[in-house]
Parts: sequence; structure tokens; C-alpha cells
Amino acid sequence: MPSIRVPSALRNFTGGASDIEVAATTVRDALAELERRHPGISAKVLDNGAVKPFIRIFVGPDDIGGLSGLETQLAERDEVAIVPAIAGGAGGAGGAGLNDA
Amino acid sequence: MKLRATLVGAGGLGGPIALALGAAGIELVIADDDIVELSNLQRQIQFTSADLGQPKAARLAELVESRGGLARPVAARWTEATADELGDDAAIVIDASDDPATKFAVADWAVASGRCYVIAAALRYGGNVMAGAPGAACYRCLFEAPVEAPSCADAGVLGPVVGAIGGVAAAVALGLVHGDRALAGALLVFDDLRRASDPRIVRFVPRKGCPACARAPISPSMASSLATPVRVAENR
Repeated sequence: MPSIRVPSALRNFTGGASDIEVAATTVRDALAELERRHPGISAKVLDNGAVKPFIRIFVGPDDIGGLSGLETQLAERDEVAIVPAIAGGAGGAGGAGLNDA
Repeated sequence: MKLRATLVGAGGLGGPIALALGAAGIELVIADDDIVELSNLQRQIQFTSADLGQPKAARLAELVESRGGLARPVAARWTEATADELGDDAAIVIDASDDPATKFAVADWAVASGRCYVIAAALRYGGNVMAGAPGAACYRCLFEAPVEAPSCADAGVLGPVVGAIGGVAAAVALGLVHGDRALAGALLVFDDLRRASDPRIVRFVPRKGCPACARAPISPSMASSLATPVRVAENR
């Protein structure tokens, strides 16, 4: 079964779980399944059905932008990673817009 | 002839980056307009309580030079107005700031001027390091535009995390300045360093219509040195 790797900034939605197995055949379906099980999380990733500009989604090492976007097909053991922009480093630390949940 | 690098940010990430690059013989310009505060010491371990109130850039440059390196401090932020002076003849620019807009400004300038660059960031228990080089997909291809980020008080960062991410950023920078393009256009994602230290290395495609790449002397679509075919698409 494919799985979704949830970034630490969103694990408050998943009870701290980092890897969520989903019965899905596309990335869009996988995110929908994630939302069904952890309501509210998809609003942090998607905006009007599209990936937010400060978030990238990868299937394994590959950017879905170079595949078929949210319609990218998932195989049995694929791992979908949600990668947000982060900006901490010097005086402070910040996760781009994800920590306001 | 010495290789030169500009380091933007002299804090938690900037400290280990500066010390590592300085010890490796890279001549540094260190840009930061901040001063050392007590709340910094938990993660900016290059500083001590004796440094409180001192300019970070100057203090860090002194530490680099005390170890035999060369570093010039500049008490300024990286902006469009200061970029040309700070970047000058740097072979690489390394962003270790805590400001999203600065990261984009550094990357955009580096892309437009055909320089290599590294964007480093840390948050909570993990971080990201992006390696940029002429002809590869850029930071703006990756994350499009800066967005509001919460403060350290909101998100926080584990002290050792910035040291680890800074060390990786320094290693990636050394690779780039010595011609190793294996990671150009890749993002190293460290999810939770308490549990695993291996990064997920992901590669992203040039973003269609990226305004930064449009100003690049070598656009991703022109580059022939990429290891994989360039695929232009949107992350949708």
C-alpha cells in the first residue's frame, strides 16, 4: 500500500504519525484519503485543488511536477512526500505558513 | 587564488558554515546586521555570554580568523540594494538567514548572475539544504514565492539541528565551488534528526514561467549538463 510522509509541521493533524498508509492509486486520491482520516490537513497542502506554491510533493525522489501532477499514479510501495518551504536558520526559525494550525 | 564565498546570516546555521568553510580555505564575506542576544546562545553555539551585544558578523569573522581563515564582516542584510556589493566576486553565495524573502533574494541574484548557491533552513527537528547551480532548476522553481513564516517563539528549533544542517550546507557548498554538480537542483530534506540522519534527496523540475530562470544566463532549458532530461511542468 502507498504511504504519505507527513512533514513534522503537519503532524499535529495526524497525532504525531509521520507515515500514513493510504489505499489510493493517485496522489490526489492519497491526499483525499489523508483528509478523510485526518480532517483539515489537506487545506494546508492544497488550495482550490492545486498544490500550494510553497509546498512540493514528491513520489519517491521525483517531483510530481515532472510526472503527472496530482494525477500521478501510485504503485504498491510508493512513498508520497509532502515537502514545505522552511526558513529558520539564524535569529529564529519558521515553517512557511504551516504552523498556524 | 583563493575561492571566495558570501555567507548570509551569522547565526545558528551561519556559525558552523563559516567555521567549516574558513577552515577549508574559502575566503568569506559574512553579512548579518544583528547582534548577539542571550536567547541566541542555545543554538548559536559559536557565541558565548561574553559576546552579548556584539555584532554577529564581526564576532563570527573574528572566530574564523582566529582559526587561520579569512573573513570580512559586513553589518548588513542581503537585499536587492546590497546584493551586488555583498556578492561581488563570490564563487558561491550561501543563505543561512531566517527570513524567507532573503532566501529568495539570494537565490534570484545567484541565478541571474550565474553563481552557485546554497539555501539552508532549519525548523524544529529537521531542515532543508538546496544546492543551486547555473542551468539547474532554482529555488524559485521549487517554492515559487516567499510566504509568511512564524517566529522562533512559534516554531522553535532544536539546538543541535542547526549545527547538523549547517555542516551539511558547508559540505554541499564546498562540493559546488570545486565543480561537483551532482546535487545541483536537488533538495536534501532532513525530516527529524532525532530519529534519522539520512536525508531524503529529491529533485525538482524547472517551473514553467519561472521569473528567476528567465533572467538566468544559462536557463534550465538551455542546460545540457543536467544528469536527467529537463521536464517543464507545474507542480499541480
